[in-house]
Order: sequence, then C-alpha cells, then structure tokens
Amino acid sequence: MRKVLFFILVPLFFVGTSNAIGQQNQPDLTDSVAFHDFLIKQNEVPGLSVRFILENKILTDSIPAASLFGFTELTSGGLVSSAFSQLNQFTKLRDTLKLLNPKWEFLIFSQPSSLTASQEYVANLLRNGDIQIVGQSNLSSNDLILLASKLPYKPLAQYKFQVISDYKLFVVTVIIVFFFVMALLMILFMLVFKAKKNKREQLTKDYEFLIVGPLTNLLFEKELDEIKKLSDAEINDIFPATLLSKALFQHVLIDKIIGLNKKMKGDFKNKLKALYQRLELNKVSLGNLKSKQWDRVATGLVQINEMDLIEALSEVKKFTNSPNFYVRSQAVGTLLNLSDKMDLVFLKDQTYPLSAWQQMNYLRIIKFLYQSKELHMKSLFESENQSVRLFGYKLVRLIGLVDFLEDLGKLAPNASDEEKIEIIKTYEVLGAHMQADFVNDCLLSENPKLQQAAAQAIGEIGNKESVTILENLLKSQPEFRLKMILLKSLQNLDSNQFEKFTSIQMDFDTQRIKRHLLDPLLRHV
Amino acid sequence: MKKILIIEDDLLISSMVQYRLKKDGYETILVQDGNEGIKAIEEEDIDLIITDVMMPFKSGIEIIHHARKFKPDVPIIVLSSLGAEEQIVLEAFNLGVADFVPKPFNPNELAVRVRRVLKL
Repeated sequence: MRKVLFFILVPLFFVGTSNAIGQQNQPDLTDSVAFHDFLIKQNEVPGLSVRFILENKILTDSIPAASLFGFTELTSGGLVSSAFSQLNQFTKLRDTLKLLNPKWEFLIFSQPSSLTASQEYVANLLRNGDIQIVGQSNLSSNDLILLASKLPYKPLAQYKFQVISDYKLFVVTVIIVFFFVMALLMILFMLVFKAKKNKREQLTKDYEFLIVGPLTNLLFEKELDEIKKLSDAEINDIFPATLLSKALFQHVLIDKIIGLNKKMKGDFKNKLKALYQRLELNKVSLGNLKSKQWDRVATGLVQINEMDLIEALSEVKKFTNSPNFYVRSQAVGTLLNLSDKMDLVFLKDQTYPLSAWQQMNYLRIIKFLYQSKELHMKSLFESENQSVRLFGYKLVRLIGLVDFLEDLGKLAPNASDEEKIEIIKTYEVLGAHMQADFVNDCLLSENPKLQQAAAQAIGEIGNKESVTILENLLKSQPEFRLKMILLKSLQNLDSNQFEKFTSIQMDFDTQRIKRHLLDPLLRHV
Repeated sequence: MKKILIIEDDLLISSMVQYRLKKDGYETILVQDGNEGIKAIEEEDIDLIITDVMMPFKSGIEIIHHARKFKPDVPIIVLSSLGAEEQIVLEAFNLGVADFVPKPFNPNELAVRVRRVLKL
C-alpha cells in the first residue's frame, strides 16, 4: 500500500514543482480595478484593445479631441470610438471624455467582449507565458526562449559591424579585397612595364639611327692609328658625351660594334676593336663581370671574347670554376681563345663535370690552338675530375695526338671502366697495336660495355692471342649484340679462322650474322 | 650612274655597304626586308642587286627567284652569313647569281666584286 502511495505521490510532486517553476507570479485579475491597473501597467496585451462608447450622442455634438478617438455612429444610437491597443492611455482617454460619461468595452481580436472574458483571456495569456509581466525579470530559461521565439527577427548589428564580428565573413571580405587590390596592382604594373618597354624599344631604335651614320663614317674615313689617337673632343663630336654616358646608349653601341665585328673582316675588325677601347666600352664589359646577375657576367665575358680584351683575362680566369654552367663555359672559351700563355692546366682544377656541349665547344677552340701553342694537355689526365680526364682522352683521339698513347698506356690499367672504354676507343682510332694485350684483358671483363668496346677495338688492333680469346668468347654463347661484334672482329683479324668457326657453329644467330657480314652492301650497316 | 639595290635587314651592314658603293660613284637604294626588296625590284630601274639571305618576310632565295622572273638580266650578289651552308650557296648559284660573298666580309672586297660584276 505504501509503495502504491509512493508511486502516485512522487510523480505528482514533480509535476506540481515543474508547473510552479514554469509559471510566472501571476497577479490577481479577478478584481476589475486590479485588472485595469494591470492593463495600464502592461500597456499592451496581444489581441486585446479597448474602445469608448458615448450613448445618446451624435457626431455633431461637441466632443473633446474627437479626431483622436475616431468616433463613428452606432446604428442603435450613440457613438463608438476606434479601438485602442495602447492600454496605458486608457485613463487619460477616459478622463478626456469624463464629462460625457463614457462607457468602454474590451475587444478581443476586434470582437467586443465582456470584462470577465477579457480577464480570462489575459489570465490565460499569462498562464501560457504568452505575455511577459512588465517589471518581472526573474524568468526561467524556458520563458526566455519562448519570448525570444515571439520576437520578430531584427539584426543585432548593422552590416558593417557584422563583418567584424563574424570572422569567416571578415576573412572572405579581406580575400576579395586583396584579390581586387592585387588585380589592380598587376594591371598597373603591366601598364607601367609595357610603357617602359615601349619607351626603351623606341629609344633603342633612336640610338641605332644615331650610331649607324657616325660609326660608318668613322670606319671609312679614319685609319686605325687615327682611331686610337682620337681626342676627347673628337669623340664628343662623333658621340656626344651626354649620350655616351647613358647606359642604354652604351648597351646599343656595344651591341652594334660587336655585331659588326662578327660580320666584318680585315682592317675594319681592328678598327672596331680600337674604337671599343677608345670609347672605354671595355670598362663597361669589365663592369659586367662584377654584376651579381649571371646573365650580365656571361654577356661581359662574350664582349671580352669578341673584342679581344686581353687585359681582362685575369678577371675572366676567376669564372672558370663558376657554379653557373654558362658563365663557366664562356669563361673557359674566352681564356682559350684570347690567351697566348694560357694552357689547359686551369681546366684540370675544374670541380664541375664537363658536359658534352662544353667538351664540344672547347674541342672546337683547342683544335685551332694545339699547333700554335703549348697546351699541356697531359695535365688533363692528372685531374681529380673524371669528366676532365675523359675529355683529355677524347682530345687525344679527336685531334690525333699519337704522342700521348704511351701516357695512356700507363694510365689505362688503373683507370675506371668508363675511362678504359674511352682509352680503348682512342687506341682503336689511332691504331695502337702495342696496346693489344691490354685490350685482350678487357675482352674478358665482366662489364658488358667495356667488353663491347674491347671487342670492337680488337678487330683493328688485335693479335694472334686475340683470335683465340674471340673464339672462346663466341663459344660461350654471348648475347646477340656482343656476338655480332666478336664475329666482325674475328673476321677482320683472321678471315680464315672466321670461315672455319662459322662453318662449325651452325646456330641460327651465327649464320644470320655471317650472312650479314659477308654481304658487301650490309657489312657496314 | 649605275643603280644598286641593297636588300639587307642589318642597318649597320647596309649602311657600310651603301657608304662604300657611294664612294665608288654608284647610286644606291636601301631596303630592309624581303617585301620591300620585291617591291623595289618591280618598281625601280636597277643595274645590280645585293641581297642578304635571312631576312624578315621573304628570304634572299625568294628574292632571287622573283628577280629572275622580273629582271632576268640584272646581276645579283648574295651577301650572307650562310656561306658555310653548302646547300644555300649551291641553290643561289643554280638560280644564276653572279657572286656569293660570305660574312664576315670586307666592304672594300665587296666593292671590287661589284665592279667586276657590273663590267661583265
């Protein structure tokens, strides 16, 4: 029984408590005076309004502040005012009409209602929490939410403040503004850059016209000695000092003189070089070497090379081991071209590998120099840099320096496989028969590239022992490419032995290679 | 006075050639690209053409073709840095040019060649 009571009473207790929490401290509205006071204090109750009725009155009667009340005539006689929802004005309005003995009636949603109905309506609103008693602030969170849901949406702040308070919106706005600013700056930069470029191009054209005439006259009218001895005043007459001091004018003048120097020969070339010195354009070229921009340094080196500025060679030498490929290549090319005393010893100390392009470029210069000056080519074999040593072996081969074969013979046994290949190719081209034993040893190498190079060379410089080695290698069934080289070399060295070997070895590949080698048209393909 | 048409895009080279030829008493017309060269061949009464090979709009070879068509009797001297290009030199001679002067060149040497060609 106790248990039953417990289960009934405990839920009731909680229901009662929660209701008490949810409700407001409701005023007593059953008393008409208290109800009026409540309405005046409350000022506004949703859906509730009041209107005044003047019985037995007509519109023509003098009624104070008639326009304020908006009276209309009732069919039953008398006047009725418009509805007032501002209830705190009730007393004031009533006092205005006091002399006319007004009556009033409540309207709920524009429907005339009795005092009791109005009281119940308001009490109901209060009970449901649909209105908030003015001056009562200790509301529960539920009440606040209810109230908040009834308030129409109104932005808390204007947009400009909202931008700052909402960080995401702020970031997006900043990005858009940044984008527009950057776009504007880029357009501005492009316009300025293009305008400058156009101006520079126009100036370059103008300077070209200013240079062409006087330069042509000078080259035809003055002798070499006269150009060397030109006074400052004479130079000023030809190229005014104001122009000559301008960097762009100097640049155009240098371009024109170097361009012409490349296309002229004979005395004109010497005159151009003398003029370059006399106009002190060599100082501009030397100044370029001091630049931190690699392209300007390379341009300076080209100018020094083209105009034979021998006095700049000590500066040029500093760039032979430059980390920049183009600067390094140009510096070495310039040194080799211009220096009578310069040999290849400086190349020995290069720490950077020589590219195929550099090697080809240097070879082109060295080919013309090796007969006229001592290049100390042997120093290349002593370099710590393998690419320099390889270049040295190639030079021996390509220039045909048979004097160095003995040196190569000493170096070859201890060289790396890559170097051995290059040395063997050199032996082959120069016909170094005395190195056949070394090449025979290389034929037995486990490095297929070295073996192929040796097999190729042995056909030209091999001996009797080579024939035996070739036959043994062929019997070991080498891969097709090597087999072909071996058979070709065997044929070169001993055609009888080749015939004998191929008539015994009847495998498909051997016969195919044999047919190919014996065909006079295909043999060298 | 003999009139020589110089077709050369390098202003300085053409100026050097013009100066040297004027010194020898020739009248010169200077144009700087292939199109102008073709126009001059059609419009001008000329005794000799000196032309470069590599030029804007029309190459020297095209100019030689055009000159052979419009002025078959006017001799042509080719002045070009493509002297090492055997194919170009052969093509020029096959088209009937009087001489081929490779760059680098000496204007005085060119003047001698011009004199020789105009006397032929």
